[in-house]
Amino acid sequence: MSNAIFEIGADGVDAGRIVAGIQASVAEKMKNGAYTDARIARAERTNIANLKNEEHFLAFYLECLNDAVQVDINDFEIHERRNMFSGLLITIKKTIWKLLKFYTYRLWSQQNQTNALLLSAVESMEERYSEKIRQLEDRIAKMESKDDKK
Amino acid sequence: MTPQSRHIAFISPRFAEGPTVGGAETLLKNLAIHAVFSGYKVTFLTTCARNHFTWDNELPPGSRNVQGIEVHFFPVDTDRDIPAFQRAQISISTGRFTPEEEITWLKHNVNSRALMDHLRQHGMEYDRIVTGPYLFGLIYFASMLSPEKTIMVPCLHDEAFARLAAFGGMFNKVRGFMFNSEQERDLAVRLYGMKPQVSAVVGMGMDDFKSDGNSFRKRHKLSAPYLMFSGRREPLKGTPLLLDYLEAFRDRTGRDVKLVLTGTGQCDISSKLAGSVIDLGFVEEKEKYDAMAGATAFCHPSVNESFGIVLLESWLAGTPALVHAKSQVLKGHCLKSNGGMWFQSYPEFEEQLLLLLNNNALRTAMGNSGRDYVLEHYSWKSIQQKMIDALER
Repeated sequence: MSNAIFEIGADGVDAGRIVAGIQASVAEKMKNGAYTDARIARAERTNIANLKNEEHFLAFYLECLNDAVQVDINDFEIHERRNMFSGLLITIKKTIWKLLKFYTYRLWSQQNQTNALLLSAVESMEERYSEKIRQLEDRIAKMESKDDKK
Repeated sequence: MTPQSRHIAFISPRFAEGPTVGGAETLLKNLAIHAVFSGYKVTFLTTCARNHFTWDNELPPGSRNVQGIEVHFFPVDTDRDIPAFQRAQISISTGRFTPEEEITWLKHNVNSRALMDHLRQHGMEYDRIVTGPYLFGLIYFASMLSPEKTIMVPCLHDEAFARLAAFGGMFNKVRGFMFNSEQERDLAVRLYGMKPQVSAVVGMGMDDFKSDGNSFRKRHKLSAPYLMFSGRREPLKGTPLLLDYLEAFRDRTGRDVKLVLTGTGQCDISSKLAGSVIDLGFVEEKEKYDAMAGATAFCHPSVNESFGIVLLESWLAGTPALVHAKSQVLKGHCLKSNGGMWFQSYPEFEEQLLLLLNNNALRTAMGNSGRDYVLEHYSWKSIQQKMIDALER
């Protein structure tokens, strides 16, 4: 983002210009995948209701979801907050995790598959309907131009 | 006729006093107070309810004089069929409802037979009846009792309930309107096809105040920058969105930005945000203004606003704003004042907040622009005259 807009704005602020600058910068960063982030998908969950008719928002949200659908099933470092018996507690936790792994790996890999399938179904529906709407808009535009010529 | 010879009744489901918080209620009360200042005789009719979730009759019924207004408190009907109301509400929210569900929703909404009886017996004594906000059974039935002298302060939002046929009828029957903004008036014209000339854009005057952000920070031992929101905490006001955005912002940017909340209502704060949200609940006005003055920005994430009192207050405190772009009213204020920015999605919010955090000169300039806008357009002197014009029309 260029700082120039905001330096000029400090004295006689033009909020419209600043917001337009930010929107352009966000659009550019989006193209580069800067916001393909599960954390953003979570943050936008309530915004969907506000923006359900915004075509671009849905595409952006689906992009963020790509990152969110994969449940992390890898091993992770096991900690213990309590000082007393921490070594013992960590060993117990590690043992429980090893015993559960057999079951949870299977469960979560299936869940990941389902999530990915559902997301690709939603994405293909979105693409299909966007294309349909684009074609219908073209047809309307052509019909309107014919009417104008008459 | 002069205001001196006129008797005006104001009707609102709740009366803004103490912990009874609400923009529409505050607006109606302030208009009533300034009608008294203009020389009108004013009577305020309201219910004994304080809480807008339970609608329990918490206040004693009867009359009290509050700041020169005679306020009559009437009990809310306790025989509402709440499950039937909620079922109808769900259908209406989805946009698929029957005329019967619409009637059920109005009938089992917040109503007061005692208030309606008073209006039937004493309605002739009032020259004008000012009612609002539009969304309550009580306001609908009260407005339809004497529509020829009813002036509505609808506080209209673009929401599913606004599409009830009953409200279309009400908007086309009453004598006139006092809208809060041009955007609200345009929405009413678009939804109900009423004639724009029967309406006036009045809004509410704002009294200037002194605020001290530094003393607020000291009192609450706040050294980190913070966002501020004040008002009812509920999904319709966008508070869950604000909490989600703050969590993502802190996580993604690593910046320790906190959130100060004042107002009423439940607020589910995630464990990740524990310690980063300072929930003060209901506070005195001075404390709220100080909190606003100390904030990096006042964030108003609601998409359903007809005026935005707290936004204007934050500008009077010299603090810039971040608002949701889907709220035409709040965005309109920001565009006209240059006192704030509007975001449509999280990335825009992130960029705007970072900009305010990193650019103190811009933050101050935006806060000052907002303050100038409020002082110029929302002084009580000009609002009072607009209100008199609307009442005398």
